[in-house]
Amino acid sequence: MLGWIARGLRQGRITTRYPRSEERPPRGYRGCVEVLDASGAPRALAELCPTAAITVDSHGQLALDRGRCILCGECVRAAPDRFRFESRYQTAARTRSALVVADDGLADEPDRDTLAKLAPALRRSIHVRHIDCGSDGSEEWEIQALWNPYYDIQRLGFFLTAAPRHADVLLVTGGVTTAMRGPLERTWQVMPKPKALVAVGTDACSGGLASDRRLVAGGVDQVLPVDVYVPGSPPAPIAIMHGLLLAVGLLAPGELVA
Amino acid sequence: MTSLTRRPTALLDGLPQSLGARIEPGPSGEVRLALAPLAFERAARMLHDVGARFVTIFLADTPEPALVGAFALRGELIVLRAPTRGAGPVSYGALGGWWPAARWAEQELAERHGVRPVQAVFGRRLTEPDADALDQRVHGLDAFPIPYGPVRSGVFEAIQFQIETGGETVARLQTRPFFKHRGLEARFVGLTADRAVHVVERVAGIAAVAYACAFSQAVERALEVQPSPNAERWRVLHAELERLACHLDVIAKQAETTALYVGQARFQILKEQVMRLRARLTGSRFGRGVIVPGGVRAVGAMSVDELHAALGHIERELRRDRRLFLGTPSMTDRLIGAGHLPRELVENYSAVGPVARGSGLSTDARHERPYGDYRRLGLQVVTHRQGDAMARVNVRFGELFESLRILRAALDHLRHGDGELRSSLPAAVDGAAFGWAEAPQGELVVWVEIRDGLVHRVHLASPSLRNWALFDRAFPKDVLTDFAFIEHSFGLTPAGADR
Repeated sequence: MLGWIARGLRQGRITTRYPRSEERPPRGYRGCVEVLDASGAPRALAELCPTAAITVDSHGQLALDRGRCILCGECVRAAPDRFRFESRYQTAARTRSALVVADDGLADEPDRDTLAKLAPALRRSIHVRHIDCGSDGSEEWEIQALWNPYYDIQRLGFFLTAAPRHADVLLVTGGVTTAMRGPLERTWQVMPKPKALVAVGTDACSGGLASDRRLVAGGVDQVLPVDVYVPGSPPAPIAIMHGLLLAVGLLAPGELVA
Repeated sequence: MTSLTRRPTALLDGLPQSLGARIEPGPSGEVRLALAPLAFERAARMLHDVGARFVTIFLADTPEPALVGAFALRGELIVLRAPTRGAGPVSYGALGGWWPAARWAEQELAERHGVRPVQAVFGRRLTEPDADALDQRVHGLDAFPIPYGPVRSGVFEAIQFQIETGGETVARLQTRPFFKHRGLEARFVGLTADRAVHVVERVAGIAAVAYACAFSQAVERALEVQPSPNAERWRVLHAELERLACHLDVIAKQAETTALYVGQARFQILKEQVMRLRARLTGSRFGRGVIVPGGVRAVGAMSVDELHAALGHIERELRRDRRLFLGTPSMTDRLIGAGHLPRELVENYSAVGPVARGSGLSTDARHERPYGDYRRLGLQVVTHRQGDAMARVNVRFGELFESLRILRAALDHLRHGDGELRSSLPAAVDGAAFGWAEAPQGELVVWVEIRDGLVHRVHLASPSLRNWALFDRAFPKDVLTDFAFIEHSFGLTPAGADR
């Protein structure tokens, strides 16, 4: 045991300072897709996307729905003048429409009741529960990583709980498969109010690539009201942390650091 | 490439005549036999008796609708193809009655596609699980069933275990997969091979590289395209980094179950370092978007020297942490003897990956049917004979160091020049073939049919589904509190099993 303790001490501090200061992803990290030029787009651009995240209206105005984007890069490779990968972690939003980007910048988000507003005492003691409703398994890894020494979300007062009755926040992954619909609804139902639901990953935001609606509902918001959407396939731990901070009101939309 | 480059094993010389089967041309490593549906069971039994491993059974559509069974035998994939000739129900003899490895695959085929083997007796429905439906078989004064899952305690994927126990010993265990069925095999249909990779990478997210490799290799074999040696080397690099991450994850979870939190943190740190290395190298923490049919797409943003340095650091740390892990009796005592799987049982269930290697079987797709750069780099297969959870952890420790050796060897060769990294695929052609890769969870086999340059059909034989059938038998003398140790020692992913 002493050996382990010595190993731990020798490591020194590796924990991120986020959200006190910004955490930068490595160069070339594919965090989200940015639209460089949204006007005068040919209709054919919409065909590039395997999940229909790109739309072009009758005026040639282009929009990209990050809630559908699986970061495959088909658009970036085919039309580099219009799309670019952005090396960024903070992509979460409190409304589904705020995930849709065009060149006019961020869509505005209405001020909604956050967990912190409803119960300020919860601010430093948030209990989190997770439920998988049909993810590909990678989102679970990134959520687990939040409690590793690099991210250590416990320092911000987030605790993992096994009991939904103790939980304040529900993290949902996956587009909600038929068999998971009932368990999801019941888990949410037994959580005490006030509570928040965070959809983690593009699958949870929209169903992602799973397109058979008889098998997958096509996003958590088809079943339950969602407070925060964290797009990404999968979103990195910092992106999920950003979503959690938005959900509890420790960060406001547009705010990068607290 | 279409001719048989190696002679099939001697056994097969007699097999075709006695079954009225004929050998068809196929890509190297595949021995294709066409036979009548009614001869299917007899052929499978002959393969079973000479020590073949059951891989999968499914419906193919190329060159004609057929029931196809795949079996691994001494460096070859033996493919039995029984044409079904469209009309009328297909009838074949059930394998599941005498070969437990085939049970789930047969039942899935019956439930999803209506192909029922004659005299098959299936239990409860497999493919559309109901979380509330318990079926208790063990009765007695204290016996009760515990439904564990699909909502798990902790951050785990959805799967359900029905545990029947009197409080201590596990009298009966039933694993219930398919809570996460997303219909992904159907999602491939009509996509170009390039775009289909996005789907295959999201079948089992934690093994995205292995899935992309197996799929790409199937496409390449079907279309007779040979990726460049340099591209194959990069594939090995990404695949072995993925194995490092997966094995470190399993070991960290084992430490967590004994509340050895410092140990858990140590292995989580190493895993995070691997994930960050992959993010720098590929732009994705899971190595997505790199492997494509014909080669690899992006090659590293890191120099060979940087990679060597990063791997060297991980190796040094890992050596120290392994020594501490193996020297912590509170950890190892819980693993030694837990979840014992005798070799015969593992063979009968045709298990693969670290689960099989922990019971003394040297089953590894990289070794049995070497693909890509493994043909040049070689592989020391790590096996342990004890068959318990400790053996499975020891296999993973051994493989971590073997992966590091392979990574270094691959890097040394990368120094010499940069060749073409992507061979173009012929447009609007037809073909069908198997592809395989050793995923961190075990051997993954993929069947791909291409028509007019578009994906026509895909079948995935995932290691997770094949190994999970064995999990029901992994509690011979174990108690309920051993559950987490034994589950993590399997290291499987429901997403891959459920598709």
